[in-house]
Amino acid sequence: MRFPEAVRFPVRTSRAARTTGAAAPAPGAGHPGPAIPGSGRSGARRRTTLTAVALAALLPLSACGGSGDGGGNASGKVGGSLTFQTWNLRAGYQDYFTALIADFEKRYPGTEVKWVDQPAERYADKISADAAAGTLPDVVNVSPDLAAPLAKAGLALDLDKEPAAAKYAKEYLPGAWAGNRVPGLGGTYAFPWYLNTGPLFYNKALFTKAGLDPEKPPRTYDELFSYARTIAERTRGKVATLANVPTIEDFGRYGARLMNEKGDGFAFNDAKGVELLTQYVKLYRAGALDGQALTATPESSGQKFLTQAVAMNPGSALDLGNFKKSAPTLYRNIGITDQITSTGKANMYVMGLAVNSATRNKATAIAFAHFVTDARNQMSFAKRAAIFPSTQGSLDDPYFTRQDGSDTARVRVASAKSLKTAVNYTPVLFSDQMKTALGNEVARALQGKQSPQQALDAAVKACDQLLRQS
Amino acid sequence: MTTPTAATPTTTGPPAGRVSRIRRHLPFTPWLFALPGLAVAAAFVLYPFGSTVANAFTDRRTLVAGQWVGAANFQEMARDPVFWTALRNSVLYLVGVVPALVLLPLLLALLVRRQIPGITFFRGAFYTPVVASVVVVGLIWVWLLDDRGLVNSLLETVGIGKVGFLSDQWLLLLSAMFVTVWKGLGYYMIIYLSALANVPRELHEAAAVDGAGPVRRFLAVTVPAVRSTMVLVGALSSVAAFKVFSEVYLLAGPTGGPAGEDTTLVMLVQRTGTGLTGRVGYASALSVVVFVITLALMLIVLRAGRKEDA
Repeated sequence: MRFPEAVRFPVRTSRAARTTGAAAPAPGAGHPGPAIPGSGRSGARRRTTLTAVALAALLPLSACGGSGDGGGNASGKVGGSLTFQTWNLRAGYQDYFTALIADFEKRYPGTEVKWVDQPAERYADKISADAAAGTLPDVVNVSPDLAAPLAKAGLALDLDKEPAAAKYAKEYLPGAWAGNRVPGLGGTYAFPWYLNTGPLFYNKALFTKAGLDPEKPPRTYDELFSYARTIAERTRGKVATLANVPTIEDFGRYGARLMNEKGDGFAFNDAKGVELLTQYVKLYRAGALDGQALTATPESSGQKFLTQAVAMNPGSALDLGNFKKSAPTLYRNIGITDQITSTGKANMYVMGLAVNSATRNKATAIAFAHFVTDARNQMSFAKRAAIFPSTQGSLDDPYFTRQDGSDTARVRVASAKSLKTAVNYTPVLFSDQMKTALGNEVARALQGKQSPQQALDAAVKACDQLLRQS
Repeated sequence: MTTPTAATPTTTGPPAGRVSRIRRHLPFTPWLFALPGLAVAAAFVLYPFGSTVANAFTDRRTLVAGQWVGAANFQEMARDPVFWTALRNSVLYLVGVVPALVLLPLLLALLVRRQIPGITFFRGAFYTPVVASVVVVGLIWVWLLDDRGLVNSLLETVGIGKVGFLSDQWLLLLSAMFVTVWKGLGYYMIIYLSALANVPRELHEAAAVDGAGPVRRFLAVTVPAVRSTMVLVGALSSVAAFKVFSEVYLLAGPTGGPAGEDTTLVMLVQRTGTGLTGRVGYASALSVVVFVITLALMLIVLRAGRKEDA
């Protein structure tokens, strides 16, 4: 899954201690009690020590969970403390979140928000460790594929069933609210937060080198495949067009059906899926894919584009700043075009805030999750972070509709426009293990070890099995 | 001047009651000293180990408590082609890395043990990869071995052309082995240096007097003298090689190389058992297999060493 550049920096932040009561001495611990006849002083001391050890062991357990006077009632009073976890946002946006939390605490006197931020790397592992240990924060930053397993395990609050949360549904874009629905479960399991999408960047200098018109980028898949073959032929394989193999989003964007109607099985091995993979096999053989495409990650693909090893790469408005700073030569030759789709709908990435269903401070957690994701605060965040709000009407703000002559504004306006019809193609049930299974089968097809149909059949079979086992 | 009498010790020693208390507690005293260490080992080694073995017989997932499934995980493993690929790669890693890590550091230690001007710099240089973060080392080698990296540029300059160090299944595994050996050389070199310091100089001198050349002296004097250290290095490097993760992960990526063909057993454990949808039961069964193989390797190496000593 691709996230805004800002959330990829692996900034490690220490987690606030939650067992504040653990260090408190047990009453009487360390003081020998009155001597018991016949037991002797050492026996009394041993018992006291054992009692102290037992209490010290139990105290941290008693300190687990939220605190406050809101209780488990969602319509109760907003107050008390809660923990809010974000996904690699402290490095770039500490001031924003500090002010946001101060605003909330001012609006709801008696509340206290403890903000923790986790690095981008292994974020899912951190959440799973917390979830398994029963220490999931009260409000957690999640993507839909992280919200789904939490929902299945009953750890994410169903916002549709909770009137205190459901009343906010109309404030968000319908597609964004539905983005955190889980097939087979019903309900919505996270407040929609920020959205992201982006154009397709291309390197005009490499287009020129291959004899292509740099002002006429490909707009359809047929054009893309044709351009890619031309670039490979004319540069004698020295320049590849794309740096990665097709992912689940690519199959969705090409028009393959990703899941069956019931939502209990995958279906991307249909005719469109096979057609796309067949095209990629041809591209790989022609040298139009980078030599290391079979092991590429979104980060390594971005790096290949940055070093001008490949001619095209998807990205976001934030990447422009990165190009300008890290690769000025590339920036001077950068071309920007729309995402290529067969469906007419661009791909988008959705972030959300899930409320821990076991929070002892439900009313406060719901109020805070809504506060962070309301139109005013999302707009404020969007202006700092080059992301897009998921609230109704926000994308009509002049900030997202008016050009100012800069490339950044051009990308922002085009992206905001495409978001109105965009789709999160990645199924919420598509786990990391499934991504690996699909990637490996696709790689086998590209290596010629199996046909595209065999590869996709095997991938669907593996993903279905993982789905049943999840 | 007073002369000490026989009564003196009794007047300066502990009172009789305290002595009896000390004697009464004597059997527990060592345990009390060991208690902190035992508690840490119990909490962070024994309990997780026991828990892993128990989980290996369940279908536990990250967020779902599992049910007893008997040997089903092990049966599934036997049918899983990815497991056999991972086992093959781990064994190849072992075969490729261990001989190099037993022999090369010994030769390196022989080179740097001489007291010549500037030798401290070389000792430090050889040891630097050991203290460097494996992630940093991995990234440096990714840049070096990339299609457009320094190594390929040099190869192109001399007319050999590009080599797919990071795109070919076998070259990728060999590259990861090379990084492991390169990073481990300094560590084992230090172990050998301490062993070589204990080899009596007279033995070498006597052998030289008898007409033995450098190779003969190495085989007849040095190797027998450091044989037990070689066994130790063999055991340590075998376990480390079989449990390799970082080098392959960094060079081959999260997929485990093209089509996952470079996946090792520990990578498979990580991929299977982590994340919100992780199959903890199956990953635990894989871990148990890794443990059994590692234990067997240790025993084989140690037994081989003992036989040679006999």
